[in-house]
Amino acid sequence: MALSAATKAATDALSINRAPTSVNPQEVHRWLQSFNWDFAQNRTKYPTKYHMANDTKEQFKLIAKEYARMESVKDERQFGTLLDGLTRLGAGNRMHPRWGETMKVASNFLEVGEYNAIAASAMLWDSATAAEQKNGYLAQVLDEIRHTHQCGFVNYYYAKHYHDPAGHNDARRTRAIGPLWKGMKRVFADGFISGDAVECSINLQLVGEACFTNPLIVAITEWASANGDEITPTVFLSIETDELRHMANGYQTVVSIANDPAAQKYLNTDLNNAFWTQQKYFTPVLGMLFEYGSKYKVEPWVKTWNRWVYEDWGGIWIGRLAKYGVQSPPSLRDAKKDAYWAHHDLFLLAYALWPTGFFRLSLPDEEDMEWFEANYPGWDAHYGKILREWKALGCEDPKSGFLPIQWLAENGHQVYVDRVSQVPFCPSLAKSSVTTRIHEYNGQKHSFSDEWGERMWLTEPERYECQSIFEQYGGRELSDVIVEGHGLRSDEETLIAQPHVRADKLWTIDDIKRANCVFADPLSAL
Amino acid sequence: MTQHNAYNAGIMQKTGEEFAKEFFAEENQTVHESNTVVLVLMKSDEIDAIVEDIILGEETKRNPTIVVEDRAGFWWIKADGEIIVDTELASDMLGKPYNIYDFLVNVSSTIGRAYTLGNTFTITSELMGLDRKLTDI
Repeated sequence: MALSAATKAATDALSINRAPTSVNPQEVHRWLQSFNWDFAQNRTKYPTKYHMANDTKEQFKLIAKEYARMESVKDERQFGTLLDGLTRLGAGNRMHPRWGETMKVASNFLEVGEYNAIAASAMLWDSATAAEQKNGYLAQVLDEIRHTHQCGFVNYYYAKHYHDPAGHNDARRTRAIGPLWKGMKRVFADGFISGDAVECSINLQLVGEACFTNPLIVAITEWASANGDEITPTVFLSIETDELRHMANGYQTVVSIANDPAAQKYLNTDLNNAFWTQQKYFTPVLGMLFEYGSKYKVEPWVKTWNRWVYEDWGGIWIGRLAKYGVQSPPSLRDAKKDAYWAHHDLFLLAYALWPTGFFRLSLPDEEDMEWFEANYPGWDAHYGKILREWKALGCEDPKSGFLPIQWLAENGHQVYVDRVSQVPFCPSLAKSSVTTRIHEYNGQKHSFSDEWGERMWLTEPERYECQSIFEQYGGRELSDVIVEGHGLRSDEETLIAQPHVRADKLWTIDDIKRANCVFADPLSAL
Repeated sequence: MTQHNAYNAGIMQKTGEEFAKEFFAEENQTVHESNTVVLVLMKSDEIDAIVEDIILGEETKRNPTIVVEDRAGFWWIKADGEIIVDTELASDMLGKPYNIYDFLVNVSSTIGRAYTLGNTFTITSELMGLDRKLTDI
């Protein structure tokens, strides 16, 4: 049968220019960009006071097929290592017990951050108009889902293999009573998903990811390795292989608004608020987990902070943007003071409130104390003195009936909770940047530990209404609160939390009841 | 003498009171612009070979400010200006197909502006998209 002229023409053309059997993924990416369009107006559900430009790029030129292949390889390597090699080696039970407890906090909390980051990056996908920028945000949505699973898997793996699974298996049930949970929700949830879309990007991507994931997800693996944990480096370094694209997304958010007059007006305030919001929680909590939650120290937390936060994030991200009007955050001075002292302040309070946690804390031994004093001159006379006194009074022994939170109250050291960050603070013992402020609004008293949170609250007081545990449980006896807040193990007697990492001398709910510790809200006494 | 980009360079060599004095010094209460970049590579067979043969090889000849440090699970790499990794070279060296997306499987963190173009991965101190446009192949 004779070929039609058209078919013949097509056949001839193909014989000269053969149809490609494969296409370079970056050629596909270039072709996809031709599907961009101009918007008469952005019909997003999540508006922003900034105008995001329509020609913003995505720096890694992702396409779905290569993205999926790349992530599959990551997961195969990670799960293959965990479920075969590391399981056969008994890796789930080889780390120092202090570190096993640290990972109860780190992985459970990061899971919450990753879960909220799904919503945050989806919101940004909806807010942006540039096709490439949307592409970057969309890949981030998928990444965050992966990370949520990964963090959940770390705790699942530990719950199966670690000798003390309580806290790895169901930490979230203690969220009402644990004093670290609410601050974590502020930094990992509210900061990422509430309010102006670009502000959320600055919180999540430019500060949370570009700055604090480096200590939280990268530097933590050094501490993990030093303390015998091979699980965390296997998973967390794989999580971080997606974070660099999220950092780029945050930078491209700034690029997309750089020429908008609103940026001149709002960007520096938004950046300072985001920096303070993120550092206020991450600085003390990470420092406490690394230094007090380890036996073998890598370096002082303040040096880790100086490298990743001050020199590299500050200099390479923020410093380089100075010529576009981005300023050094004015709260940096207070943040540096926190980097030196806030984790010691927090450990005192976390240890004082240990029965409300879902993990174990342990007192520094003499070797640790020497290390603290060598690296933080003045530590011993202040913190060391108190911790030695608590130890002498029997804080580790359930027979003693001694609870440090009662010692604080009896010695006039009131513990407040900062309304904005939800981080507890003790004005009479703090060496960090704490400067106490109290406001009364709508018939309620509010405590603040710094001017930066106070400023945010004065702008939007309705946003920060979360009750502190002292307001929530004022007048209630501690053992009653622990039972109500699911702080007991499956035997319904032994506390999940303990003030040591030994196998014996575990505190039970009866030991707590004997101490007759009643929560009091310091604000109501003012 | 410690290279200025080393993990423990500058203030990081100091301890105790000496460290605190510099950390809290008035001139260090604001950020200082830096022309450096940081690349964190998760260890793997391919990455270990790329670090040894490409980054510590031709790339260090091109940019002698590169410092590579072993930090247990990852390689920490810092340099002035930029670090470039050509995955076509890596593919030749490894003896198997290895493109830019294979390399990204193990790039754990970047401080600076990282981007891909064809087979090349670059981390630069330049403000891509502001000072210079990002381009397609």
